[in-house]
Amino acid sequence: MSTSYEIREARKEDLERATELISRLKYLNAEFDPLLTPVETLEEESRRYLEELMADEHGLVLVVTFEGRVEGVLTARIVDRRFYDPRIVGQIIDVYVMPSFRRRGVGAQLLEHASRELKSKGADMIFAEFPAKNMIANGFYNKLGFREITAIFAKETG
Amino acid sequence: MVKRTMSTGEERTKEYYEKSVEYSKFYEGKIQVIPKVPVRSLDDFSIWYTPGVAGVSRLIAEDNDLSFEYTSRWNTVAILTNGTRVLGLGDIGPEAALPVMEGKALIFKYLGGVDAFPLPIRAKEKEEVVDVAKRIAPTFGGINLEDIRHPDCFYILETLREELDIPVWHDDQQGTAAATLAGLLNALKIVGKKLDEVKIVMFGAGAANIANARLIMAAGARPGHMIMIDSKGTLHAERADIDKLALTHPWKYKFALNTNEEKVTGGLDEAIAGADVLVAASRPGPGVIKKEQIAKMNDNPVVFAEANPVPEIWPYEAKEAGAKVVATGRSDFPNQVNNSLVFPSVFRGVLDVRARKITDEMAVEAAKELAHYAEERGVDEDYIIPTMEEWEVYPRVAVAVGLKAIELGLARRKLSRQELYEHVRDVIEASRDTLGTLVGKNLIRMPPQ
Repeated sequence: MSTSYEIREARKEDLERATELISRLKYLNAEFDPLLTPVETLEEESRRYLEELMADEHGLVLVVTFEGRVEGVLTARIVDRRFYDPRIVGQIIDVYVMPSFRRRGVGAQLLEHASRELKSKGADMIFAEFPAKNMIANGFYNKLGFREITAIFAKETG
Repeated sequence: MVKRTMSTGEERTKEYYEKSVEYSKFYEGKIQVIPKVPVRSLDDFSIWYTPGVAGVSRLIAEDNDLSFEYTSRWNTVAILTNGTRVLGLGDIGPEAALPVMEGKALIFKYLGGVDAFPLPIRAKEKEEVVDVAKRIAPTFGGINLEDIRHPDCFYILETLREELDIPVWHDDQQGTAAATLAGLLNALKIVGKKLDEVKIVMFGAGAANIANARLIMAAGARPGHMIMIDSKGTLHAERADIDKLALTHPWKYKFALNTNEEKVTGGLDEAIAGADVLVAASRPGPGVIKKEQIAKMNDNPVVFAEANPVPEIWPYEAKEAGAKVVATGRSDFPNQVNNSLVFPSVFRGVLDVRARKITDEMAVEAAKELAHYAEERGVDEDYIIPTMEEWEVYPRVAVAVGLKAIELGLARRKLSRQELYEHVRDVIEASRDTLGTLVGKNLIRMPPQ
């Protein structure tokens, strides 16, 4: 299996595969909490979300390719926090790498690449959100020097 | 034909049920503890018990491994279960598992000369089973895990193999796997194919078939040439539920990543095209695997249909569809994949060298020796694996496993092949002689007519 890969901004022709990967991530999230159950139109939403983000100057969609095939994806956007300093920050929304290409630092490289891109768009800080029970993601971000600053608590309205 | 075989099989099973209930009541269990020292007078208790025994305790306190020399520990195995997956009966609880474990202990003793203790415990959680196993380990020379639901059994076996310094074996996984591998090695000789070249389909992804696959790989099959199929179809690295598997079943996940390099999707119909070997351990047949599916295999295919009590496809159907060699789990067809050929001898071997572990390499060695034994007698399509009646097979496999443990540096006691063979043979013979003598003297009565 090839070990050389390329990280670059997503192009139109990456859309189908990137959509699949984003959908896979959402299905994975459902494993951690029923309140993260994907909508029935997940694929469609994922595709439209990617299209919007790719067209948005505040958006970022990166893909990682092995032998030309998309095997990983990262999405992020610039956010104005308004009340806090630094105000302009980068929000990492999705990070997903296909199972066969994990455990070789691809995710960390994606994050580093995204961090540079977001900084060039004005972000002084980046942050990520993921299911509280996803201990793999927890370990991943901790290892990369992230720390927990806010928490999201949810409750159904009944 | 199908009907007749099924009904006779069912009738026979019913008869065995009734006899087992009647005899179990008559004998009030199947095993007992018998002393192995003479009691010449009550004064001997001062030797075997207090105060004399304190001398032995002091020695062992200095060096715990001396417990293998001065107590029965060297020959004892715990048959540990939580009763969560007993035979085909499911989660019937520890008490109901007891007769099964007693039966296992009987086979251990009769075929392997091993003093095995039934130990069903009330512990549903895998961590509890691990905890109990660790706490009882000082008493035993080995632990045989039995009838524990999967995937818990994988976690328990893996953890205990890592953390204990006595052999731990899960018979539902490794016993079946070693017997399967033995049969497969000889089947491939018959059809003139090589293990590292054949395309293998593993149908079913329970404890038995995951262990089958692991051992077949350990023996040299190419993971990329293997396709495993579970209830959702072929496993491959891009299956929709792959991330879920990573979280809930890391063993299956690993197979999904390493096997099926062509990423064949679909089910058995898609996977079986051109396959050389089919190993099924899925759900009782007949008709689970169809003749048309066997017909899609490569020339001279090998079929293992291991479901009990009825194989996934009847052997004659598989043959009619072109299978060259067929094996099942049943004794009334040729080529019975039978774990009773494996576990008594594997434990005999590791106990006699005081091994610290049973590795996959040692299980492969057991399979190879089983295969050699049959090969020496002349293999053909109806004889790829020895039968239980071939007594000589047990010491042969025991010696092979024991020597492998020594070679791998996992043995506390190093014996020559001859020494080991004699010890193994003596222990097994003594066990059968003891039983024969007790029966001869009517201390063990014949069952009521």
